[in-house]
This record gives sequence, structure tokens and C-alpha cells, in this order.
Amino acid sequence: MPERTVTVASRAGLHARPAKLFVQAAAAQEVPVRIRVGDGRPVPATSMLAVLALGVVRGTQVTLDAEGPGAEAALDSLAGLLARDLDAEEISGG
Amino acid sequence: MPETAPLPLDPRAVRLDATASGRDDAILQCGRALLEVGAVEAPYLDAMLERERTISTYVGEGVAIPHGTLAAKDVVRHDAICVLRFPEGVDWDGERVTVCVGIAARGDGHVRLLSELARILMDPGRARALREAAEVAEVVRLLQPIEEDQ
Repeated sequence: MPERTVTVASRAGLHARPAKLFVQAAAAQEVPVRIRVGDGRPVPATSMLAVLALGVVRGTQVTLDAEGPGAEAALDSLAGLLARDLDAEEISGG
Repeated sequence: MPETAPLPLDPRAVRLDATASGRDDAILQCGRALLEVGAVEAPYLDAMLERERTISTYVGEGVAIPHGTLAAKDVVRHDAICVLRFPEGVDWDGERVTVCVGIAARGDGHVRLLSELARILMDPGRARALREAAEVAEVVRLLQPIEEDQ
């Protein structure tokens, strides 16, 4: 199954806001994408609670996987999102 | 997975039967509950509203987790959560919220708090029990961490 491992760049990790942006982006993909930390159990990238429960902080390496038509493009897009500091893109600084 | 520790929930910051005129009112009530237990200073309440305007803190299962912006961490005195239940429901940008878990955290404390809270809410039985608990003590008990790999 195609995978991408990426280091999370957002200052505050994958918590409420960056997590929400990620979950929304995952939901917009045409294939189901899963996310895991290390050898942990993969969880649906579209579940806010499941993503929050991973407890990802800045610098944590996460692995995304997906299968089916468009999987590679979906993974590239989502991995690219996680590699950016999504907190820095918030004008109000939160 | 992060290590588990009790969620910092003061029983005085639990309301089983709150009502709110709307989303912002519910958020301010959470802020006041955190203020009353000494976890935050007054400017935190505005920061909670600001955060919500930036992006919704609705997480599913009828639960929202309002909290302040990173910039407001200076006015957090200690990590704390509050639990306000709105049995009649609050319209949250089109979602119906019946449980608000307000969060105040210093430094990176929110990541652990959110992670623990999410793991509790992902358990449908616990989430339901949290919505239906008749006693404050039961709410406090339900928000104790889940053992690893159960």
C-alpha cells in the first residue's frame, strides 16, 4: 500500500486547528486515507477524534497510507500539508 | 502515545444542566467556569471566542472543545478542563452540541489533554455515559484516563 512518512511541522502539533485543517483535507480526497504514529494502529484521517487521540506534537513522524486510484496524489497532498507550519499561517497567531 | 495522567477537572467546573442562547454564550460559560477555578485570567474568554471564529472546535459526537489561542497562553495559570452539559443542545455552526469541554493549558499541555479527551470520547459507551451521567462525581470519574491498549 502506498505510504508517506512525514514530520509534523505545526508549532503546536496536530491539535485542534491544524488537526481540523488536516481532517478536512483528508475528507476532500477521493480515497480513504489512514494515519498512524510509528508502529501504532492506523486510524481514519477523516476522524477528528482519532487524529487528536494520536497526541501528535511538532516533530512527530506520522505515516499516511491509502489505496486505490488517486492514492499517490492524495498522499502527496496531505503529506505536504503536514510538512507546513499550519499555525504560522494563522493571521491571528493562535 | 503520550503518557496518561488524570485530566485536571475540578468538580466545581462541572455543570450538568446548563442552557445557552448560542455558541458564543456556551463558550463564555466555559470560560467563566475556568475563571472560577482559578485556571485562567479574564482575557482568556475573548481568546476562546477568537479561536472559535478562526475554526470550529466541534469534534463530533455532539462535543465541542472550546479553548484559547496560542497567544493567550500567558493568561493561563494552570492546566484545567471544565465540562458543561447542555441537554437542550446548542447550535454550533449547524451541529448540535450537548457537551462542551473547555480547555486551558500552558505550554504543550493541550496536546496531552486533547489526546486523552479524544480517546475517551472515541469510546461510544463512555461518550454516551458522559452525556447521560446524573452526578458530577460520575462525570469526573468518566474523564479519568483509559488504560493503555485496553
